[in-house]
Amino acid sequence: MKWSPRVQTPLVWGGHLLAAAAFAWPLFAPAVPAKAQGAVPFVALALAPLAAVTLVFVLDGSVRSAKVLALLGTLTAVGAAVRVVGTGVGGIEAVFVLLILAGRAYGARFGFLLGVFVILLSSTLQGGFGPWTPFQMFACGWVGAGAGLLPRLRGARSKLAEIAMLAGYGVLASYAFGLIMNFWYWPFAVGTGAGISYEPGASLGENLGSFLLYSLITSTASWDTLRAITTVIGLAVAGPAVLAALRRAKLPRDALR
Amino acid sequence: MFRFRAAPLRHAAILAVGFIVVRVLYRILFHGVDGSGAVLLDLPVVRLPAPFAHVTMLGPITSGGLWDSVESALPIAAVIFAFGAINACIDLSKLFARGARGGPLRGAARTLVIAWATVPALGDAVRQVSLARKLRGSRGAAALLVPLLERTVERAVAIAAAMEVRGFGAQRSVDAGTATPIEFRNVVLAYGACADAADAGPGAPVEGWTLAVEEFVVPAGRLVLVSGPTGSGKSTMLHALSGLHTHFDDGELHGSARVGGIDRRTVPPRETAGFVGVVLQNPRIGFASETVADEIGFAPTARGVVASIVSARVAEAAARVGVTALLGRDIRALSAGEATLVAIAAALVERPRILLVDEPLADLDAEARLRIRALLDSLAHEHGVCVVVAEHRVGELAAVADARFDIRDGRVARIPTGAQLEPADEADAASGDRAANGTTGEARLEARGIHVVLGGRVAVDEASLDLCAGEIVALTGPNGAGKSSLLLALALPKAAGAVRVSGTDVARLRRRSRRAAVALVPEASDDLLCATSTEEECRRADREAAAASGTTRARFLAFLGAEDGTTTAARLLASHPRDLSTGERRCLAIAIQLAADASVLLIDEPTRGLDARARSLVAAALRTAAGEGRAVAIATHDHGFARELAERTIGMRNGRLGAGALRTAVRS
Repeated sequence: MKWSPRVQTPLVWGGHLLAAAAFAWPLFAPAVPAKAQGAVPFVALALAPLAAVTLVFVLDGSVRSAKVLALLGTLTAVGAAVRVVGTGVGGIEAVFVLLILAGRAYGARFGFLLGVFVILLSSTLQGGFGPWTPFQMFACGWVGAGAGLLPRLRGARSKLAEIAMLAGYGVLASYAFGLIMNFWYWPFAVGTGAGISYEPGASLGENLGSFLLYSLITSTASWDTLRAITTVIGLAVAGPAVLAALRRAKLPRDALR
Repeated sequence: MFRFRAAPLRHAAILAVGFIVVRVLYRILFHGVDGSGAVLLDLPVVRLPAPFAHVTMLGPITSGGLWDSVESALPIAAVIFAFGAINACIDLSKLFARGARGGPLRGAARTLVIAWATVPALGDAVRQVSLARKLRGSRGAAALLVPLLERTVERAVAIAAAMEVRGFGAQRSVDAGTATPIEFRNVVLAYGACADAADAGPGAPVEGWTLAVEEFVVPAGRLVLVSGPTGSGKSTMLHALSGLHTHFDDGELHGSARVGGIDRRTVPPRETAGFVGVVLQNPRIGFASETVADEIGFAPTARGVVASIVSARVAEAAARVGVTALLGRDIRALSAGEATLVAIAAALVERPRILLVDEPLADLDAEARLRIRALLDSLAHEHGVCVVVAEHRVGELAAVADARFDIRDGRVARIPTGAQLEPADEADAASGDRAANGTTGEARLEARGIHVVLGGRVAVDEASLDLCAGEIVALTGPNGAGKSSLLLALALPKAAGAVRVSGTDVARLRRRSRRAAVALVPEASDDLLCATSTEEECRRADREAAAASGTTRARFLAFLGAEDGTTTAARLLASHPRDLSTGERRCLAIAIQLAADASVLLIDEPTRGLDARARSLVAAALRTAAGEGRAVAIATHDHGFARELAERTIGMRNGRLGAGALRTAVRS
């Protein structure tokens, strides 16, 4: 089905907002009447796959051009293979390098879909589906999409500047990825009754403090930092040549509408 | 869709236990285990400063507290395990193939089918690329990632083109009239303004390139041959007929171009898939399905034909081509000849009036070539299909062709029937004289008792070989004879046996000095390339080999006979390495591998995929290398090339070297 932009655009943004709400559920729980609070996490877990299916459904018409589809397919294979191979090495996820470069070369929508499909395929390969899968899809998709939204650069040293900008974005994305993935999961991971537990009744500041401590010891200081370093090194070493390789396969400008 | 796999279950069990352990650790660290029961460890309570004043750390650990935290984690651990159980039983990949056949998610599902089929091929690609990297002596991630990505993009473009010509994504289907199948008059093909060097696709001709077609008219039931050297525009001509040139490669077409009575410029390939069947060059990398049957049935499936009719059509096309036995086969398990036959079947499944075939004989053995010739013959002359074949092996198809067009200097010209069909392949390659430098007899490389076992099979059986300074030696033999394995064992010795270069044991040499002794150009020589310009590629090679700056650049230009400072040289150096022609690219690979000034140069299949002109380019480069006093050995199944270039030809069969491998044999 080919959607008209008047229908597609609100649906796409609606899907992203729905997913963002699912990630941020601990913020919303206090606003819900006390009796319904227990249901909030389950609603969030149900919302995320719903948002993912909505978005893939709405964007599916965009991947009907043979070239886009084939590039998306083969790059998904590379990403999934890198992710599967990288499982044993923990947070060293070279996938970010691919997501950022592909998002940069082919645009935000391509980057988003690549992120979603890489998670989908690697989860299929490993049999690793779970409630966390839709969250991973969005977080990775957003990393790719963000790279596609970075500004165009002009000027004599634009190639160097582009890699520097992507590397900066890579660091930001690595930490942001860790933070949002921790946020929705934090109440499940710690449970109630510990010092850093999520307390629906407590103030926002208190909860954020607890969350930051949780995130710091969970991944920010370790995996996320490692991922940021890997991403920067990967972009610096292979960035220019890989970008050139990707750009040599010209996608029609309106290929992803 | 349902099957059982233990791995996901095991994975989930580990994850679930890990979840419980981590939760207990969090709670111990953050004062969450001081419940009822005996106190196991009385840690002091630590209160954090603002802004974390509400958080307390550590505190006493009690047995009841520990149990509580384990118990509270159990429901979620159970959920994790349950998902593992579901994962273990459901195989989602089967759903991809089903979803790709139609429905609202077919784009996503087709993407995943392609991805699923690409993953296993990646393993091979990684192995080959990392071997090339090792041979080049690079260590960086770029030398691995860039060729891998180039291969990926190349595959993606091939898949996309193959799907496009089979009607993927068509909004409508156009029927051919009863008009002449192909009618091109006063046509000029070009690449548009957007094709500047940095932006052009792999191998795309540069701006200013044109191909003139005065008259190209093919009635039904004829077989027409389009010949010409690599890079002359055979594929462009075929792409112009299929519509890929204007609708996929961003090319331009001027003049009157009618296919089935339809203006080729206005109708994209996907809409004419019903009556134009296309077999693209190297069809294997463009396969988009998992099984042979799915691949052959791709076109009707993409059109939304019901499954039962699709399978009837597939059976019919397979029978016509003679690949019925292959239908259930995994698409990746096909040999090169089988792959070409399957691609022809896939192009015939819609019973096209026109069939366009690009280089069907490339990389095939004699038997497969005969089979394909007979098939094309019968399609044209018995079934009335209009067949156009692009091929530089003119001799093989000339007997069945009704007309022949040749591409020279940017023109497609008809060659009068009855004219002598000169074997274009051998024509100008033989121009150079045989290697001028006679064997000096000084042995550069001495290999003794090389024994290589690959996957339980003996690939090289106790081979001993001498290579002398200034000579060119050819290793010939059928595919799988062990030629490549032997060359690899000479360049990176680790198997049984000894390899000495000028008296030094190569196995003991470190990376750099090994490269100064032996250089090997692998068969997939493009895997050696990883820079964004030829100039940079040469500089990189100098750096890696610790050679004087400019060495590789000078050697590369000398191979191509381009003087530094000329516009030709400037164009070569500024191009992206992959935009060079195939012959130029192979010369670049040889120059890169010679950066450390190796005294022994080994080249695996130097003429693979090259036409006559490119072959003479490579032949000249090899003569230059030998003329500098190097020992040069090539492994090839191109007997003509071996005969014309080598002073010594050694046959190889089943891992054993034939006569003439040792120096004493040379003298006698």
